[in-house]
Amino acid sequence: MKRGFDPTTLEIYRALYTSVAEEMGLTLRRTAHSPNIKERRDYSCAVFDSAGRVIAQGDHMPVHLGSMPMAVAAALRETSIGPGDVVALNDPFAGGTHLPDVTLVSGVFGGVLGAGDWVLGKTKRLRRGANFPTPKPQPPTPNPQPLFYVANRAHHADIGGATPGSMGMATDVYGEGLRIPPVKLVVGGRVNEDLMRLLFANVRVERERRADFEAQVGSLKTGAARLLEIVARAGREEAAEYARHLIEYSARMMRATLRTIPDGVYEAEDALDSDGVKDEEVSLRVRVEVKGERAVVDFEGSAPQVSGPVNAVEAITVSAVAYVFRCLVGAEEVPASAGLMEPIEVLAPAGTVVNATHPAPVAGGNVETSQRIVDVLFKALASALPERVPAASQGSMNNLTIGGTDPRTGREFAYYETVAGGMGARPRVDGVSGVHTHMTNSLNTPAEALEYAYPLRVRAYRLRRGSGGRGRHRGGDGVVREIETLAAARMSLLADRRARAPYGLEGGEDGKRGRDSVVRGGRASRQEAKGSRDLNPGDRVRIETPGGGGHGKDEG
Amino acid sequence: MKKGERVRVGVDTGGTFTDFVHHAGGRARVFKVPSTPDDPSRAIAEGLRRAAMEAGVRVRDLEVVHGTTVGTNALLERKGARAALVTTEGFEDVLVIGRQARGSLYDLDWTRPAPLVEDALRFGVRERVAADGSVVEELTDEEVESLVKKLKRARPESIAVCLLFSFTHPEHERRIERALAEALEGVPLSVSHRILPEYREFERTSTVAINAYLQPLMGTYLGRLGAHVAGRRLRVMQSSGGSISARAAAEEPVRTILSGPAGGVVGAAHAAGAAGFEDVITFDMGGTSTDVALVAGGRLKLTNEASVAGLPVAVPVLDIHTVGAGGGSIARVDAGGSLRVGPESAGAVPGPACYGRSDLPTVTDANLVLGRFGGADLLGGEFELDESRAVGALSKLARAMSAAGGRAVSATEAALGVVRVVNAGMERALRAVSVERGFDPRGCALVTFGGAGGLHAVELARHLRVPRVLVPRAPGALSALGCLRADVLKSLSRTLMLEVGSDAKAQAARVERAFGEMEREARSALKREGFSDERQRHERTIAARYAGQSFELEIGWDGGRRLVERFHQEHEARYGYAQTAASIEVVSARLRSSGLVEGLKDERPRRSASASSNVKPQRTARVHFDEGARHVDVYRREELPAGARLRTPCVVTEYSSTTLVPAGSRAFTDRLGNLVIEL
Repeated sequence: MKRGFDPTTLEIYRALYTSVAEEMGLTLRRTAHSPNIKERRDYSCAVFDSAGRVIAQGDHMPVHLGSMPMAVAAALRETSIGPGDVVALNDPFAGGTHLPDVTLVSGVFGGVLGAGDWVLGKTKRLRRGANFPTPKPQPPTPNPQPLFYVANRAHHADIGGATPGSMGMATDVYGEGLRIPPVKLVVGGRVNEDLMRLLFANVRVERERRADFEAQVGSLKTGAARLLEIVARAGREEAAEYARHLIEYSARMMRATLRTIPDGVYEAEDALDSDGVKDEEVSLRVRVEVKGERAVVDFEGSAPQVSGPVNAVEAITVSAVAYVFRCLVGAEEVPASAGLMEPIEVLAPAGTVVNATHPAPVAGGNVETSQRIVDVLFKALASALPERVPAASQGSMNNLTIGGTDPRTGREFAYYETVAGGMGARPRVDGVSGVHTHMTNSLNTPAEALEYAYPLRVRAYRLRRGSGGRGRHRGGDGVVREIETLAAARMSLLADRRARAPYGLEGGEDGKRGRDSVVRGGRASRQEAKGSRDLNPGDRVRIETPGGGGHGKDEG
Repeated sequence: MKKGERVRVGVDTGGTFTDFVHHAGGRARVFKVPSTPDDPSRAIAEGLRRAAMEAGVRVRDLEVVHGTTVGTNALLERKGARAALVTTEGFEDVLVIGRQARGSLYDLDWTRPAPLVEDALRFGVRERVAADGSVVEELTDEEVESLVKKLKRARPESIAVCLLFSFTHPEHERRIERALAEALEGVPLSVSHRILPEYREFERTSTVAINAYLQPLMGTYLGRLGAHVAGRRLRVMQSSGGSISARAAAEEPVRTILSGPAGGVVGAAHAAGAAGFEDVITFDMGGTSTDVALVAGGRLKLTNEASVAGLPVAVPVLDIHTVGAGGGSIARVDAGGSLRVGPESAGAVPGPACYGRSDLPTVTDANLVLGRFGGADLLGGEFELDESRAVGALSKLARAMSAAGGRAVSATEAALGVVRVVNAGMERALRAVSVERGFDPRGCALVTFGGAGGLHAVELARHLRVPRVLVPRAPGALSALGCLRADVLKSLSRTLMLEVGSDAKAQAARVERAFGEMEREARSALKREGFSDERQRHERTIAARYAGQSFELEIGWDGGRRLVERFHQEHEARYGYAQTAASIEVVSARLRSSGLVEGLKDERPRRSASASSNVKPQRTARVHFDEGARHVDVYRREELPAGARLRTPCVVTEYSSTTLVPAGSRAFTDRLGNLVIEL
């Protein structure tokens, strides 16, 4: 049934659905309590059609690109979502990525405006905001089918486990924190308080967690309300029809991009420094076959899953592939809909570091391995598209967590942050210094916000000069971030590119590797890139992040 | 006019013309003078001589309020001063790193704009203040001396100083300020605790650096302008919609970088207020972009989160939402078959296809193909439009649309599509400033100005269920009118960080005390500028949030009685829920003090008169609507008397804009000469 479409209407829906996802993000950011969400914007929001296919996703975190759809798929597979229900999940083996990323999913039902009576804790609705235009109430149907689904995912600063911040060095998923399979957090508008109590008994900083969950629910409500306004105006048939056209639209855009890549087979190898348990490289291999307007991305030959927490579940690998090809589409605003990956097949053998199975530890798969998947893919594609592909960026997110008890309040705290580094040089321009690259785009926590919130003091936050690789175009410099703790605390670091440097391309030099230390009493000692340690008041953690690779031979 | 009496003149510098509005003989008079972009003050001097002549006074008796683009242009074109920056040691790169995020997620070629202060001119000093204002590391005299030495060697044209937590303990910044003022006499200083005593170091540093970057230029410009206008009083429009003295503007030019657009919003709000409408959404559609803003209950909305040329500006700025689309936006079909409009613009050169120098299908071409200019040319006939070229461009677009969607699309349908797409973008912007902030637009007026707005406004109002559209008299000079009517505005704030608790009474007393201090300061400052107590207004608001959040909501201060309840309500209206169990934190007390400009005689607020006389159209023209083509009347705005009733649908043409009035609406001119369309 191909009746064609109206390019005007398509454009209107493209912008409309995207703006719904963006607005959900805005609500979440402005109402969340943890600095990680409100200051660093470590979250994603998306809109799905009635079959659970993603229609639009906000430009939030690329690492969530391919993984949000899997979360919704898992929620739909394992629960049935009715009006006023909210499903929560973080299980990496059932739609999640790593445990701190908690995804909330709800349905959007005709006649129920944003499931407006959701209640969390002692919160109650005081009055309805001026939502306009108000959809006409429709008679309830006995077995309602949702018109859409909405979902958001936020990185909670702690989800339990041995290490504050839940990003420590566990050897299985049980040690990493609380695993939440798809369960109903809210049922028919009422919070499942028993479940909440169980949840909050297992995580640090309950107050903050509760507020962040409320913000996530509020964001779903915003999305639902906006979608119902669209339906009220255009009718559900047109809204659904153009959701479908949008998915096809993204697929057409991707096919057009694939046609610009010369047919052929492109291969590359890269590696993580180690898994944090054994001191040996964890190898990643990819073979990309491009033929016409289709591509097959095969990770056969990558290392088997490891006992340290750098295993990536399949959702992450798909996200990284989606990210790389989305970049090749260019700066054009294309909705990250289900259609984007339609022409691309990803083969990630189960039981490997790119498709880990239960009970592998996965905390770093999301944040470190995802970056290396991007690196190896770009490395392979560099020979196909030497004019477009950049040299390697820093290739790490430099995940730092510090937790303990705040002496000012007697309350627990858990600080989590990722640190920027150098961007790889591009074929026509230098790499950017001190910036987040590829799979993350989270902001820093301002020193002045951080020090209000935690018993920490930022001692330095500056560029690491000369760390970018030389070349015709230089790689961007990494940064130095030094944080002093004012309380006894436990820190953990999860970082990479401390052994193998970010690669240069076309004769450009590699970027400088990162390095880390703890300064105690004026004396610095080396800190493992993947590991935890106890800190005394006055200790300073110093992170020096990698520079980006250079591009082209330096002629001068 | 009595000798010695001051005549106020509003002056707005635009790219082509400099607009003047002044009052003489009880009527606002409007005129234009060609701009002199190499030195905008020449055009201003010429216009002021004319204004003085018309008013029968000497130039020195004029009181001038000026909307300027000098700051904005210097920032956009990167033509500011060679500025230096002093930071806490370890934070010298704060301007470069910013918030460490990239501006575009999937754009492999994205590059960050260069910092306003180059590497060699950023200096760290050893010192440290903690979040609670205590000193962690003293700033030593040796450190200050060494800094002075380095700066003397570097010879910057201006200096910004921004130390961590200076808003909790400004002493270190003050000492640096004193030392630099003495050692580098004549080099302007921008010091963070004076300009913006608020937390978040990157945003604060950026604001202070912009100030330093613009200071020398603005000082020179205003000095030159002062010389042209001997003995006058010169004021400058701020981005917040109030005016400040030229001296203050030269010291803090960062407050003027949205001076022009602010004048437009204030002018629109006053025009609507005079016609009896307090709730207004302003809609200023130009060639490449469109500005919208909300004025609720006559109050201008401010934000501290604006950015200009990609750089954050955290001083209060009118909350203007900008969309990258306007009359010159280019339409095209992308690789996926979607009809895109903008953000690329044809600009003035080569311009839309109908300007005769390109084949680019733009929004203007679409409107022309649809007959919506009513068969008129632009600028009162001075500028001829090439309709056949526009039809050619739209036909080509139509073919691309047909091929992409698999359905035949005519040139007219393509034109209707372009208008629909651009309207959808405008509608999202209008909703973003109203509905999405908990404001119901069903009682307000949409005020349109700017060349392209009138062709789209009524359709947009219908979608938003805004009941009326107001096209002010002389919409081209609205920014100058805004300057004329802008109150003198002083914004003061104190950071408090109070968690509302059991000792609410004591806390309320502390807030009251802060307001008392600020109000005394503001009162005497306004008195010095000639505002008696009766002509002053002081508005108290507090910025509050749930303890733990990072974003504040501003609510009026009522002595603290219903604070908690009202905060919950505001949060609910804005975000859809309230956390009644959470405690509330009062972050800061903010005082907005206005010196009120006296009302102008012919603008007494009154509801629009009911229309009486019918007028004859100039001609008829064939116009395409979504539901089909029909012949409509075309009126010339200049020929419409007050109280004229128009037959709808119709097109109203005037010198610098055109208004499309679709069927099913009432259109008339009110007693003030505004064109009012009721839906």
